[in-house]
Amino acid sequence: MGITVRNLVKSYGSATVINAISFDVAEGEFVTLLGPSGCGKTTTLRCIAGLDTPNGGAIAINGRVVSDAGSGVFVPPHQRDLGMVFQSYAIWPHLTVAQNVAFPLMVKGERDTGPAVAWALGVVGMTQLADRRPSELSGGQQQRVALARAIAGRPQVLLFDEPLSNLDARLRDRTRLEISRIQRELKVPALYVTHDQTEALSMSDRVIVMEAGTVVQEGRPRDLYHQPVNRFVADFIGSANFLDVRRVGRQWQLADGTPIQVDPVSDAGGTRPQVALLRPESIRLDGDTAPEQDAALNRLTGRVLGRMYLGPHIEYVVEVAGAQIRAFSRRDMPTGSPATLTFAAHDCRLVDDGAAPAPRTGHAG
Amino acid sequence: MSVLGTLYVAVFTAVALMALIPVAALVLGSLRDAAPGLTGRWTLANWANLASPGVVETLLTTIEVAGLTTAFAMVIGTALALVIHRTDFRWPTAMTAMLGLSFYFPSFILAMAWIVIGSPGGLINDVLRDVLGIESVSVDIYGVTGIIFVMVLHQVPFVYLTMRGPIMGMDPSYEEASRTAGASPLAMLRRVTLPMLSYALASSALLCLVMALEQFGIPVLIGVPGRVTVLATQIYLLCRFPPTAYGLAAAIGLTLAAITGVAILLQRRLARGGRAVVTTGKAGRITPIPLGAWRWPVNLLCGLYVAMALVLPSLILLYTSLIKFFTANPFDAAFTLRNYIYVWESEATQRAILNTLIVSGGGALVGVLLGAACSYFTVRLRPTGYRVLDMLVMLPFGVPGIVLGLGLLWAYAYLPVPLYGTLTLIVLAYVTRFLPYATETAGARFVQLDRSLEEAAWTAGASRQSGVWRIVLPLSLPSLQSGYFLLFMAFFREISATILIFTASTSVLSVSIWSSFEQANWGLASALSILAMVLMLAVMSLLLWAMPGARTR
Repeated sequence: MGITVRNLVKSYGSATVINAISFDVAEGEFVTLLGPSGCGKTTTLRCIAGLDTPNGGAIAINGRVVSDAGSGVFVPPHQRDLGMVFQSYAIWPHLTVAQNVAFPLMVKGERDTGPAVAWALGVVGMTQLADRRPSELSGGQQQRVALARAIAGRPQVLLFDEPLSNLDARLRDRTRLEISRIQRELKVPALYVTHDQTEALSMSDRVIVMEAGTVVQEGRPRDLYHQPVNRFVADFIGSANFLDVRRVGRQWQLADGTPIQVDPVSDAGGTRPQVALLRPESIRLDGDTAPEQDAALNRLTGRVLGRMYLGPHIEYVVEVAGAQIRAFSRRDMPTGSPATLTFAAHDCRLVDDGAAPAPRTGHAG
Repeated sequence: MSVLGTLYVAVFTAVALMALIPVAALVLGSLRDAAPGLTGRWTLANWANLASPGVVETLLTTIEVAGLTTAFAMVIGTALALVIHRTDFRWPTAMTAMLGLSFYFPSFILAMAWIVIGSPGGLINDVLRDVLGIESVSVDIYGVTGIIFVMVLHQVPFVYLTMRGPIMGMDPSYEEASRTAGASPLAMLRRVTLPMLSYALASSALLCLVMALEQFGIPVLIGVPGRVTVLATQIYLLCRFPPTAYGLAAAIGLTLAAITGVAILLQRRLARGGRAVVTTGKAGRITPIPLGAWRWPVNLLCGLYVAMALVLPSLILLYTSLIKFFTANPFDAAFTLRNYIYVWESEATQRAILNTLIVSGGGALVGVLLGAACSYFTVRLRPTGYRVLDMLVMLPFGVPGIVLGLGLLWAYAYLPVPLYGTLTLIVLAYVTRFLPYATETAGARFVQLDRSLEEAAWTAGASRQSGVWRIVLPLSLPSLQSGYFLLFMAFFREISATILIFTASTSVLSVSIWSSFEQANWGLASALSILAMVLMLAVMSLLLWAMPGARTR
């Protein structure tokens, strides 16, 4: 049940936008497609909605094949029983809020749309604005109308195409919680497309990271954050420092020869070029009068290159062994002053340096 | 096949027939040595005759008239647009309204009014001779200068209307940047504003040139008595006055259509290239340039234009319609209502009025629906062959009205379809000729309409047809209304496409006016013109009142 995508291919002319990807969204699961613009995430969503026609592969919704390039099956969007929220909201300006929300029911031929509309507007907290025109609504309100319209017809799946990208930061935080709550209440499978890592991490049961039309990694948000498969995923999710390291005997060294301890779990001994990932929040930053030594900790010294005051803390850029490392501290250190970075070995993870992701297909959900 | 699929095939077929039949008929006709409907032989003589001194001279005259008209109209129209939208001119709204009205002032009525004013027996010469006693100076409108003069008056509003959008839509920061860089208002105009408008200017000039090339009403009324022939009028003369030469007319028509067609193609290319340059969509508020010492010369220019293009012609026609014999001195004149009484009692005139309303009202509806369908296919759905459809829609736009009329005349003399002598043929001619008005207005709207609005309907469970019906059409209504308005006005005024295909029972008001004037019945022609203009104003107000969408032009 849910959504099943197998070996989906979409190309425009000679440009392949989606390169044989496969994934599943289980019943009641919230899955996010995350990736930079142009990675094919929106096209994937549009193929599932039936707004784009795939060139290869198959898509099934709740066990029903809606698109199969091999056998030529293509169910038009209006017969797929979807609820979709668009990036631009696509609230029809000539209809009132209630008429917008009633639309999915009306085109199905339902006579009495009142209760369903009232329910849907109630869920998003827009009951009192039912008779307004879209032009009289704020962006956030339009967003909620779009959400109400998507759920009004009790669809089998919910699709979201970057629905929060046009909202301001504060409203985005609130609406994230709202969407999560509604999806869990309705228990329908949901596929959410975004380029915003915060949205992906905070809302999803599972995140699928895409790059250049392929799936790079998929997993629970915390796994992606702590165990990224390569530099791309590590860089895309959260902020990351990368240290150039090389193996010398059984040891790892920085570019200038300083020895460094890395997370032994990540040290699989492969042949691929690797870099060490170091999240800024796992670094302790001190002046040159650093506290006592601990053998289990890495300790590097450098110089403050730049600083940005951010309120809760100051973000520093420190030059260490030829690399620029970002780290946070609440201490006030002037530019040019010496600095000491301290971090645990298990916070320094080796990841593949490969820019091009290894294509991975055929994941079972 | 789906509903939309069937509709696509139907629309494609209709547009293809409408565009290709007259053109094909012209090609065949140009190779025949007899009039349409008569048996004749194949010949190349018509094409050979294009090189005859008469035709070559006509071609040169046509180019001279159209070129000079375009040059003058561009300068005056652009100047007016800049004055109205870029300076502290006092009456921008009133001036815009006046230019809008004169845009709808039919060209052949304007020509008639100026003949009454400027012909050897007309107003100016009467005043010179009888009132001022001057014998040595006289004016004669019948000539190349007269034609160009009236055509410039007629074309200025078009230039203004095409230039005002680009001028108003220009991002003000470009101009402001030039001012902060030290440019005076005039230097800014010359070095920034006009160069940035160059695409729009070139595009407007090409369209203006096309309109001047195919202009029929003005050169036929002023040129024929003055023995000045342009290609459009020569086609008419060859078909209407013995010895007729329909084949030569067809060859000339195709030549003229080729010239205008190339100009239209160029214009389309320019318009496409220019879109990226200036339009930012940010209609900015800009500090108006102070007119200063230029204020009164500018006011005078505006007043003079309104007087010559609108007020004076209307007053003269009203006056002429109310007197028995023409005299410039109203105190000498014998006033009468006989022209209006005649109109009231004449069955033929009543039929012409009724025909005009049917053709304009009903034909515009057909046109706007067909145009909207074409645009939906070419802009949104893009099925196989949509580019061909787009070309077929544009093809007749490059064909002058008189040439289209001739093509239809040839076609329906041969084709076993009983269309000749019906109002349907007139509607067919008008819709064919003006379909791009409808496709452009509807298409512009469809392009603007965010795709997701329609997609949201599909994902919400609406089929394609249902999405069009419930979402696209309601959201495009204002543009469709404005397209209807444009078509109605164009159909109401049209004469060049009608003049060769009307019959006694399918005469329209424009033809009645023209033929009364041809019979030297200035009074009746003027009365009919006044009637036509009153009717037009009434319908205009009615449409604008009933269709708010048509107001935003």
